[in-house]
Amino acid sequence: MEGVSRMLQFNYQYYLAQSAGDAAKETAEQTKRIVSKITTDKIIQGLIILLAAYIILRVVDRLVNWLSERIAKEWRLRVKQFLPFLRMVILAFTTAILANMFLNLSQENILAVTGTVAVALGFAFKDYASSIIAGIVGLFEAPYGVGDRIKIGDYYGEVVSYGLRAVRIKTPTDNMITVPHNKIWTEAISNSNAGALEAQVVTKFYFAHDVEVNLVRKILYRVAQTSKYTALKLPIVVVMVEEPWGTVFKLKAYPLDARDEFIYQTDLITRAKQAFIRHKVDYPDLTAFNESPEK
Amino acid sequence: MANKVSKFREWISQQRNFLFARYTKDAKETQEPERSLIALPAPIRKKLVRLIEEIPSNPADKEAIASVIEESYKNWREDPHNADNSVVVLSSPVTAVSRILSETLEEWTAQKQLPLKLLSLTARPYAVETIKSKIEHELKSKVGDDGDEPLEIVAIPNLSWCFLRSLDGLSGIEYLQSLLCSGSKNRFWIIGAGQVGWEYLHSVCAIEAYCGEVFVLPPIEPEKMQSWFDPIVDELGITFDEPRIDKQIFEGETDNKEGYFKHLADISEGVGTVAVQVFLKSICYEEAEEMEGIKIEHKHTKQNIVAQTPRLPELPDFESADQYLLYSLLMHGDLTVSALSESLGDMESEVQARIQILRREGIIEQKGQVLKINPIHYPKVRRELAANNFIINRN
Repeated sequence: MEGVSRMLQFNYQYYLAQSAGDAAKETAEQTKRIVSKITTDKIIQGLIILLAAYIILRVVDRLVNWLSERIAKEWRLRVKQFLPFLRMVILAFTTAILANMFLNLSQENILAVTGTVAVALGFAFKDYASSIIAGIVGLFEAPYGVGDRIKIGDYYGEVVSYGLRAVRIKTPTDNMITVPHNKIWTEAISNSNAGALEAQVVTKFYFAHDVEVNLVRKILYRVAQTSKYTALKLPIVVVMVEEPWGTVFKLKAYPLDARDEFIYQTDLITRAKQAFIRHKVDYPDLTAFNESPEK
Repeated sequence: MANKVSKFREWISQQRNFLFARYTKDAKETQEPERSLIALPAPIRKKLVRLIEEIPSNPADKEAIASVIEESYKNWREDPHNADNSVVVLSSPVTAVSRILSETLEEWTAQKQLPLKLLSLTARPYAVETIKSKIEHELKSKVGDDGDEPLEIVAIPNLSWCFLRSLDGLSGIEYLQSLLCSGSKNRFWIIGAGQVGWEYLHSVCAIEAYCGEVFVLPPIEPEKMQSWFDPIVDELGITFDEPRIDKQIFEGETDNKEGYFKHLADISEGVGTVAVQVFLKSICYEEAEEMEGIKIEHKHTKQNIVAQTPRLPELPDFESADQYLLYSLLMHGDLTVSALSESLGDMESEVQARIQILRREGIIEQKGQVLKINPIHYPKVRRELAANNFIINRN
């Protein structure tokens, strides 16, 4: 009886060993099937294709940016926002050529490769893959595009490039911030112009409670209406908010070009202040408020 | 289509010699000498400039204005309480609307024997704060506010001189709006303005709501343009180049002069001042050349002042600052340097630097203290600004 059971155990171990051997052999065969014969010529060709793709990408980048800055402003963002699609097409085309060169892409091989790549990427480059996928989704969902003025987290600025993995934002202080696309899964993205040339600028003015409201409103409207930067086809609005220490007036208007946002705000403030000084408009007196026990 | 093809075939057969001569150019073969077109000799140029300066306002413009005023006035007289008592005449910003309107009104009021009050502003006051008081003074002193005031035609030849895009520069317009709205019912208002300035005032003051009919000067037709220039053409004996090949094929243009004025009206968009400048630029002097000691004789031996195919000059690349400056000039028609800097909200020194560059490039011209857009560049500048988000017109 003992001899029979030992025999069975041996057979089982032999069977397991044989199965493992078969599996290894099958994987090797599969890999052999997928990867076509790699020769020095093919490697050189692959490198040339990669170099060509890189050069084409750089040329397209420069060409699109050059063109977008020279044509009429109304077309600027449309041209800029075409760049990510062009880049995606070039990258997809290059990947297809390289895959066709080095891999035998039959139907079952494609399934095997995508499965393997997905697992590998899933573990090794989880965030990277997530950013790339978010970048592709972002092309269609369009939470931001090149030329838009956006805020992601603490960063605000103009989108200057839409890469494969990340977006680059130029802040008002001229810093270049790189933000991975996968932020669109989790973060709120504020887009001021969403593809339009104009973006609303809100300028706040602070006055005492007893300020002459109609005078201030008239001055603010006139300031916006007579600024060279104002897009007059879009509405100009003045709204008021009462605060314990004074009255806040918000002047909402659009510059002709969203890029002029800060210079526009400066122009509005400069000219409004000159008018307020001339009309002796009272600013809020914060000393009493600061000394108050209820502050 | 068949007509076009047959025209094309006919044209080919006519032009065969010319075409083949082009394709079989042989260095050894004697070629027909190219006509040399050179700048006009100084006396002829002087004469041409004088004739152009003396050219009267286009009669087509005056006729159109007179007919609109006549109709609006008639409607108002028939129903003074309900019909509009004002008419606005809009022209391009490079057209001297005040001159055309004043001339037309003088003739029209003389014919109708109506009293005419022309606002005597001939330029924008240096201090913009005084615009309102000047208008107030003129209109109050000359037109009484009592109920028995007589019928009167009040004309503002150029509304652009009544405002400046600045904080205090719109008070004159506000005052005029109050007069138009609740002023005397015995006044008939005729207002001339530039289209770009009018669009601006409509955006910020809704001025159109206060006025009656708004009439935009129609573009001058090629035939009328031709008859307008005829005295100069006849005086100098100007001949015309052949129309472009595409015009000959597709539009069947065979008459050089007719084709020239059709093209001139087209590229100048029917604006008289633009057409005058383009015409002046297209005139050249053709000199008969001597070759190998033999004087070549051809059809222009006697008539050697030639009008070449008219064309608009190219614009340079503008910076944003230039665009804001040019828009301000289009809006106001004409401006002094200090008024321009005030309308831009920039310092005079900054503005002066841009002016010098644009003046050197011929985009703007300066007469005394006053700056204007060079009319020859107007069509392209207008298109450029419209494509860059500036309000030029509502269409």
